[in-house]
Amino acid sequence: MSTETEMGSGRTRGVFDRLRASPFLSDLLSNRLALAGLVIVFGMTAIAIAAKLFLDLEAISLTQFGVNPPRQAPGWWAELFGGGATTTTVGLLEYPFGTDGQARDIFPRVLYGAWYAMLYGTITVGISTVAGVGLGIVAAYFGDLTDNVVMRTMDVLLAFPSLLLALALVAIFPDGLGLWRAVAALTLVYTPRFARVIRGAALAVLEDEYVDATVALGATDPRVIVRHILPNCLAPITVQSTLNFGLAIIDLAALSFLGFGAPTGTPSWGLMLSNGVEQGLLTGQWWWSFFPGLFLAITVLGFNLLGDGMRDALDPRMREALD
Amino acid sequence: MVSLRFIAKRLLLLVPVLFGVATLVFAILQLSPGNPARAIAGQRASEEFVRQIERELGLNDPVWVQYGRFLVDTVQFDLGDSYTIQRDTPVRTILVNKLPITLELALYGQLIGILLGIPFGIISAVKQDTITDHLTRVGALSGISIPIFWSGPLVIFLFAQILGWLPTSGRIDAQRFVIEPITGLITVDTFVQGIQATLAGGFAVSHFGAFFSAVSHMILPAATIGIYSMALISRMMRSSMLEVIRQDYIRTARAKGQGAKITLLKHGLRNALIPVITVIGIQFGSLLGGAVLTETVFGIGGIGTLLVEAIKVGDYPVVQGTVLVFAFLFTLVNLGVDITYSALDPRIQQ
Repeated sequence: MSTETEMGSGRTRGVFDRLRASPFLSDLLSNRLALAGLVIVFGMTAIAIAAKLFLDLEAISLTQFGVNPPRQAPGWWAELFGGGATTTTVGLLEYPFGTDGQARDIFPRVLYGAWYAMLYGTITVGISTVAGVGLGIVAAYFGDLTDNVVMRTMDVLLAFPSLLLALALVAIFPDGLGLWRAVAALTLVYTPRFARVIRGAALAVLEDEYVDATVALGATDPRVIVRHILPNCLAPITVQSTLNFGLAIIDLAALSFLGFGAPTGTPSWGLMLSNGVEQGLLTGQWWWSFFPGLFLAITVLGFNLLGDGMRDALDPRMREALD
Repeated sequence: MVSLRFIAKRLLLLVPVLFGVATLVFAILQLSPGNPARAIAGQRASEEFVRQIERELGLNDPVWVQYGRFLVDTVQFDLGDSYTIQRDTPVRTILVNKLPITLELALYGQLIGILLGIPFGIISAVKQDTITDHLTRVGALSGISIPIFWSGPLVIFLFAQILGWLPTSGRIDAQRFVIEPITGLITVDTFVQGIQATLAGGFAVSHFGAFFSAVSHMILPAATIGIYSMALISRMMRSSMLEVIRQDYIRTARAKGQGAKITLLKHGLRNALIPVITVIGIQFGSLLGGAVLTETVFGIGGIGTLLVEAIKVGDYPVVQGTVLVFAFLFTLVNLGVDITYSALDPRIQQ
């Protein structure tokens, strides 16, 4: 670390110094688990973007029937244990994840799945964060009737087990929307979580005297909200978004798994999992469902590690070590 | 103790929420595409027949009339009749038959989660920042991160297909055993049957064959749910324990000369368990929602699979009833958690 800083330009050193100076970031970066989470999240994002840029969706959706070998266990697995649906031997590193029921190479499809997970996850969490933060702050700031109307509506949405509400909501939207209807349903399900947490955080900020001071100086409502309340609520907002990102990716995949998400043929992890479980596992082709699920689990783990680390870094009670 | 006033107040607050829940469910189904009358009549039925069914169901009435009727029916627990899944059977009857199946699975899963989660959480807290702690924490986080619709099929593949130790799906070996539902909880029913047979004709292991079959079918799904639940419980146990063992009264107890273990269990655990109980309650609620996935994966015909099927075939009364019952249970569980919590920590009531 230190050599890196010394070798870097003056600007780089500045950034590192500033990172070190912030107690939140230094706590977060000294937490190895959180760091691992950060690496996973960045890695998955890189895979997602690279897959979108360099993989041809048409090509990886094409069936490879007629090409040798049509159905294949992962190369290394076939080499070690034999098996797979064909007897043709391939190289150790060919088809690292095997091929699926339509004889498509699973590896690029799993990589492309990262793009779907990250894209739709970002949209779901992004919209529910913005909506939830808006509603939460407005409820806290204006209080009284506004607060009651907003929060009681949120209570109703929170009265359902989340996946269940999402399932019922998905039914509203026409089939043609594909993954978008899952996104729409989950956005409605996730918004109240943000609203509740942010309302609490905003109420705490409103207690502070500097808010009274700005109001006394003649600040307008939007100015107080945007310049003072919002920046002071950023910490809980970030933690909530990170933790819910993992949940959103699982729920999106779950809806696809149950048949209410990605349309047939899409290389989304949930859909690959459901096809693999329904058709491949019974006949022993574990790799059809194993690899999409593994990537899904690792991505979610990354977000959870990161979110957890952030929460600990923000919670001063967790700082002092046990005597 | 919890004051009756507190409970009454919480119950009263429940009314608007449940009213909102019913309204939302009604709105969702009004917005859903597709004509229920057509769904009942079948795709090839004549237009005239469809019109007749529409009239019978009152589907042509103004929305607010339908809404009023829906509210009145719901308050009386009349959830209508199923359109297609079990034609003309009251939804209430279907739900009463299927609910124990879902509840039983959730109970066993939760039991495994509690029995493993609490000790793991305590160990993790006591050994904070050691290898044990790190491993337990990563284990717990992995437990939450692994989707049940991935781990479930994999354990089936491993333990049922490859090793052949346990059955792949279902609730009992249906070809060998017939069960008469008493409570609807299959492990209880088969056990009672075994006892009855023993009382009638003396003890024989074969009397309990159905019970063993039911238990062996329960192991994989319950363990899959249990691991997820354990992860959440051990996380909460850890952070709650960490907070408690820094309190002054723990230091006082140690200063008096009380042993570390006794202090930990007597003063630490008791106080640290309070927030964990909340998590267990909330977790139970989300297990009900997760039933949709678990039941699909393990081929168990509870209300989770019922809902998925009903949405797919457009059996609206069943969708409506199932979602309402889930939300109702979820709300009740949360209320129970609130009351327990305030009984354990009287400060909440103020």
